[in-house]
Amino acid sequence: MNLYQPYLMRIKEITDETVDTRTLKLEFKDPGVAESFQFSSGQFGEYSVFGEGESTFCIASPPTRKGYIECSFKATGKVTQALRRLAVGDTVGFRGPYGNYFPLENMKGHSIVFIAGGIGLAPVRCLIWNVLDLRDQFKDVTIVYGARSVGDLVYKRELEEWSKRSDLKLCLAVDPGGETPDWKGLVARIPTAVEQTVTAAEDTFAVICGPPIMIKFTLPVLDKLGFPAERIYTTLENRMKCGLGKCGRCNIGSTYVCKDGPVFSAAQIREMPQEF
Amino acid sequence: MTRRFLTHEEMASLVAELVAAGTRVIAPVCAKDNAEQIDYMPIRKFEDAKLGVSLPRRSLKEFFLPPSEVLLYYVQTKDAVDIREVPTEPPPQVILGAMPCDAAALEVVDKVMSWGYRDELWFGRRESTTIVTLLCGVMDSSCLCTTVGLGPDSSRGSDVLLVPVEGGFAARLVTSKGEVLLADRGQAVNEALQNSAEAVQSEARKKLKQTLPAIPAEFADWLSKNFDNPVWKTLALRCHGCGACAAFCPTCHCFDIVDEHDSAEEGSRRRNWDSCQTSKFTVHSSGHNPRQSQSERFRQRMQHKFSIYPKRFEEILCTGCGRCSRICPGGMDLPEILGSLLAMAETKPEGSAQ
Repeated sequence: MNLYQPYLMRIKEITDETVDTRTLKLEFKDPGVAESFQFSSGQFGEYSVFGEGESTFCIASPPTRKGYIECSFKATGKVTQALRRLAVGDTVGFRGPYGNYFPLENMKGHSIVFIAGGIGLAPVRCLIWNVLDLRDQFKDVTIVYGARSVGDLVYKRELEEWSKRSDLKLCLAVDPGGETPDWKGLVARIPTAVEQTVTAAEDTFAVICGPPIMIKFTLPVLDKLGFPAERIYTTLENRMKCGLGKCGRCNIGSTYVCKDGPVFSAAQIREMPQEF
Repeated sequence: MTRRFLTHEEMASLVAELVAAGTRVIAPVCAKDNAEQIDYMPIRKFEDAKLGVSLPRRSLKEFFLPPSEVLLYYVQTKDAVDIREVPTEPPPQVILGAMPCDAAALEVVDKVMSWGYRDELWFGRRESTTIVTLLCGVMDSSCLCTTVGLGPDSSRGSDVLLVPVEGGFAARLVTSKGEVLLADRGQAVNEALQNSAEAVQSEARKKLKQTLPAIPAEFADWLSKNFDNPVWKTLALRCHGCGACAAFCPTCHCFDIVDEHDSAEEGSRRRNWDSCQTSKFTVHSSGHNPRQSQSERFRQRMQHKFSIYPKRFEEILCTGCGRCSRICPGGMDLPEILGSLLAMAETKPEGSAQ
């Protein structure tokens, strides 16, 4: 088995998150692989449809839930459109896990603020469930999540579940104009929602994923709140092919997103050439 | 280190024996489409090899990283997918008359191919291949091997280095693979032969017309500090973004991975050569492209070769063959470009925005 050869996985469940975003729950066909497969929150893989090609997504389910992995994707290109045509029981390929992961061990004993926009919730959701499954090892948990419109919010059933939990603070927001008449969350963009929800930075890690423009305008807010850049983590989502540091596509200067990332602190990103 | 002397006849019988045993022997030969040009191609007999005539048009890269290479075959039915693996242990092959720059390139690329994960397809071919390099006597003004720390008699990446002498070749057996191929052939090199081989080597070094200095170690840092220097915009003006430089480069190894179906059920997953010089190389699915302009893509290629790769692997990702300059339809000349960057680095070692 050469390193580009994927594991075979069976689609166990399909969930439509939005009009164009879908989540697949996947099981390894080989019971031995299912048993031995391990990963950490933040890692990614190459998912493939045979005859169409491979596509790179994070693993969106937490490592604390065994026996399956999930990926969420938007149908935008050849492979993602082909993934959308598959049904429960169909086979996909998976290579991984690749890349680094969130510093979960360092976060233990501290508070965490999760900030996500749109489908950027996928990598964050992996870590959120990882943390919630080990809830007593962390202090306060805050989630600020927003999308363009109510229809663009992903993982709605989980947002519902999180809103009922007393051990976390959830703030949902949609962009002005994206609200529905019965919308109970904020009507604001993410930086504003963060300003209104997050009060303290002391002893707290921030994890932020979403469109580059959202991250760009939220980082100054976190800075103002007093988060040091070393305690703010995000993931970079550069185009990749191999995921293994060989195909030469995902680098930013001498940093390879596939090998050195995809998880980086804001301090690390500040040191990189500005070529995002 | 073992040295052997082989006559042309002994070399011919070596090739004949290898070919008879089913070993593929690759050597520079006249190109099929143009007798003036040289290509590395499989040969049947030693007389077909055109040694030391000119630099082959393409490097040895394609024998280790084919332009399009199958990673796996698949057969899919309604309920299942079967994967057929491709072999990672190819039959042995010998390259006879490799250019020193082409042989060195393979050893340079080994670094990325073993970085964290070992690329068995690449190393399968590397390990099954014995490389017999011939001292270079065909350098021209596009060459820059001495700038990147090599030379016409460099044995980097070679298993054997041949030096042409009266009546045959003085062979330096550099590796154990070289020993296996030649230790029992020809005769030992006596002092007179050794002296004449050394004279040929020093003559080859003297023949060099390369004027650029060797790249100093600090250059990698200078380049990364000058990422935002406007000079990239000026230097890239003649670049069309065609990617020919990367295709002809012995060290450019970037690839794409695509599926191709032969029928509704069967097909293959392949890796195909790609180039960071094309506009779609880095484009995100959202349409956002981190490298939007040609100057940014040109900067990436230069940074990768002379800054990123040296920083990650302590190797310059260039062996000075000069093919990029010779093939470029826009007239981008690497010695000229590198020359101006090196001069800037010398006058403004700390780097600057202007």
